[in-house]
Amino acid sequence: MNRGNRVLLSCVYWAFVLYVFVPLLLMILMGFKDSKFIGFPIRSWTLEWYQGVFADTEVISTFGYSMAIAALSTLVSVLVGTWIAVLLEGRRFRGRTILFGLTILPALIPGIISAIAFRIYARGLGIEPGMGAIVWAHAVHNVPFVVLVVMARLSTLPKSQVEAARDLGADPLISFLRITLPYLIPSILGATVFCLLLSFDDFIRSYFLGGYEPTLPVLIFAKLRSGMSPEINAIATVALVLTAVIGIWAERFTRRQARESDA
Amino acid sequence: MVESDQRPFWGRLSGWGPYRSSMRLLSAGPRRQFLVLVTLPVLWVLTQHLGPMVQMASVSLTDAYPVAPGTETHWTFEHYLKFFTDRIFWMPFFRTLIFASVFTFVTLILTYPVAYYLARHVSPKNRMLLLLLLLIPFWVGEIVRTYAIMILLGNTGALNLLLQSIGLIERPIPFMYTSFSMGVGIVYLTALYMLLPLYSALEKLPRSLNEAGADLGAGAWTRFRRITLPLTLEGITSGCILVFLISTGFYATPVLLGGPSTTVFAQTIAGFFHVAGNEWPTGAAFATIMFLAALIVTGVFQKLMNGLRRGDVR
Amino acid sequence: MSHFDSTRRRFLGTAAAGGTILVAPAYLRRAHAQGGGEVNIWTYNDFVPEDFKREFESDTGIKVNIRLVDDQGKQFNLLSAEQPEPTVDIMTVAGHRFLQFIDNELLAPLDTDRLKNWGRINPTFSESDWATINGHKWGAPILSGMEVLAYNTELVSAEEARSWDVLFSDKYEGRTAYIIQDMMSIVMLKMGYDGNMIAYLDDPEKAAAIVEEAKNFLIDRKHLVRKYYDGGAEFQQMMVNQDIALGHAWNGPAAALINDGFPLEITIPQEGSYGFVYTYNITRNAPNEDNAYRFLDAILAAPEIGAAMTRASGFISTYKDVDPLLSELERKSTSFSDEELAGLQFFRAEANDLKYGLVDPAVEAIKAA
Repeated sequence: MNRGNRVLLSCVYWAFVLYVFVPLLLMILMGFKDSKFIGFPIRSWTLEWYQGVFADTEVISTFGYSMAIAALSTLVSVLVGTWIAVLLEGRRFRGRTILFGLTILPALIPGIISAIAFRIYARGLGIEPGMGAIVWAHAVHNVPFVVLVVMARLSTLPKSQVEAARDLGADPLISFLRITLPYLIPSILGATVFCLLLSFDDFIRSYFLGGYEPTLPVLIFAKLRSGMSPEINAIATVALVLTAVIGIWAERFTRRQARESDA
Repeated sequence: MVESDQRPFWGRLSGWGPYRSSMRLLSAGPRRQFLVLVTLPVLWVLTQHLGPMVQMASVSLTDAYPVAPGTETHWTFEHYLKFFTDRIFWMPFFRTLIFASVFTFVTLILTYPVAYYLARHVSPKNRMLLLLLLLIPFWVGEIVRTYAIMILLGNTGALNLLLQSIGLIERPIPFMYTSFSMGVGIVYLTALYMLLPLYSALEKLPRSLNEAGADLGAGAWTRFRRITLPLTLEGITSGCILVFLISTGFYATPVLLGGPSTTVFAQTIAGFFHVAGNEWPTGAAFATIMFLAALIVTGVFQKLMNGLRRGDVR
Repeated sequence: MSHFDSTRRRFLGTAAAGGTILVAPAYLRRAHAQGGGEVNIWTYNDFVPEDFKREFESDTGIKVNIRLVDDQGKQFNLLSAEQPEPTVDIMTVAGHRFLQFIDNELLAPLDTDRLKNWGRINPTFSESDWATINGHKWGAPILSGMEVLAYNTELVSAEEARSWDVLFSDKYEGRTAYIIQDMMSIVMLKMGYDGNMIAYLDDPEKAAAIVEEAKNFLIDRKHLVRKYYDGGAEFQQMMVNQDIALGHAWNGPAAALINDGFPLEITIPQEGSYGFVYTYNITRNAPNEDNAYRFLDAILAAPEIGAAMTRASGFISTYKDVDPLLSELERKSTSFSDEELAGLQFFRAEANDLKYGLVDPAVEAIKAA
């Protein structure tokens, strides 16, 4: 690839970054506006909204609650999704297409239908509205995404590797754990990120299946009825900073750990 | 490559009595192996995926739900018929499918170069960091981000103020509440879901293939078209399916950013649950119709892509 | 291998500790609830003043759990999905939506004898004919809202805003917004019909014809509107961003703009308009009925509380003697001239089935046109 193309490509990348960040910057900016509403022009500035977020223990605990739900539901959906992907990929058996279709199902249902269906189903199963119910609904909803991502990666694993391991005497479980799984790690990581995002951002399921403890999107949506205010922008900004910090810390941690295990 | 203390572990494990006997039990023959593998997924899928949907389907076939106490309910197809007989519902329905397809394509065009750049022209050390950089904005909730887009595109929004201050326009351009603003919002939300599969597909592409192509005299564009593109078809397919599925389900963004002529089907469905009147069965029926349609479109697309792949790879 | 394990353990340890700290306040609060009992409320943001809630909790030892909702439909969906054992004691139903809830046996009749402060509510609301159904009261009115014409005073004159027609004028093409469903009622009123459809209960054909006429009116003028919206926040944002110059809105969100200093005026045009009243209701089979009545009685106890609700939400308080407690700006954003009020009627529930059976499809048709 010649110089010109490379420059062009990097321009496209940074233009994309701009596209992705500008609304974000606007959101952060609006958190400083001294008014009950957001928008230009900003005539006067204030720190009260940001200060209010930290003083408001409700926001902090809501954030923690959302994160806990995201982590738990992601754990479940990645485990189940990977298992299903391994089953479906590269194998031909009767009913495979049906199983695949059923697996993808939760992703196709519009949010509000899914939420109400789960609420009623939960009652039938005796599950109380609250954290458990939300985690369950999120986990089920996210499985299709895990399956798609992992299957895509799995399809590129050369069968010869697994066969070689089996020829050398490894049983199916060990050859899975030592050959297939490491190969799948990048897609599993990607799927994990997807699921965390989907769960953290979800509003409709959290709303119908939650109890009196709101998740962050539910809290924001409820406050929204009084107008999109700088307060909401400040809350979202703080939530963003906290998740970014966690994300960067996790990335640093995995990098350090990878370096250490290589040593 | 294998760590010196790892081999003894796996060796120890595979030699361990209880492990060996349970493995023998579980993997006695391909039939049993398959059974072991398939049990959990089938149970899960039947109870968690199918269960709620059967519930919803049964609601869509009753004549009234929630059931007012003291009344009887009957099975009926009338809610499904409502869709096929009343033309006002067709517009939003097809509009959703068309919008979803168009926006999926736009997202693909937009994110492919970005994924390419990340996978090929950024050193492996920085790759994670730059990817993370792109991930961060997606951690902001959909609603707040959507309002941020309003601040960007509104008549007194950032974009119009910028264009006016550099003298390009005199009066503000009404960007908001159009298919354009809706598109900006939707592509913004789905770009990530297209980016990650594309990136992972591009990342594992061996450079040697491209180099070989160059050695054989192929130009940059030809190399892309004949080598890179076909080999990333898998990633493109899963990215497109993901984005298409998600796009058909969007409710909040089209409602907030769209205009009078951009009603999507999700709004129609939600309408049956929101407004006065107990119209849950109709909402459920319409939702069933929509996801069957999305399923069909996705299936057709998958078949097409499979055909393409088989055709190209000898 | 062991080294790998220890770092993983450290990671899990720190993550768990961090998570516990973040979630701790939530668990602490729930433990506290075991004390004097609790009361569960579904209501809109700002309808229960923070100060009042704190005082009530410390005075009575009853924990107040508030779940924020953002529309009537969601409350109905949630409550229906919870039957027959609701988790909520008090809901916030708008008067004209009573019938839907009552027919599905979701509400309990309100025993006004148990509320010694019932008399503190202005009888215009508490003794209004929409408030009594089947001989019972079903909710305590707290805030009143109305459909108003709101306009940017820097762009639109008061003279122009005297009629709803200004929303459909060519002058403001592409600068208006409204809620379609509410607008249908207003258009029917403007055409001289009964927007509540009670007058046509015995004549469904006439009702259908009227709805058809209103629908066509709006479809013919669809090219003039900038946006059909649903939520007050959208309207407010459109005004602030100057995407619209005027529009139909509820007085609450519009008042919030005025209180913030935005150059907005609200008015009830000469053709008249509709109003609605939010009430607090007791659910049927409420888990904490006694606490619910105590809460209701307490929130009705003083006009200051009513003023606080108005201040926060922008809607008009139903309590007596609230006016003197409001500031100049607040009074301006919540009061109307006698002439305007003469044209105001409340939404009624009796013909809702007929009405919405016709209006909902019409709304879909307008959106799809």
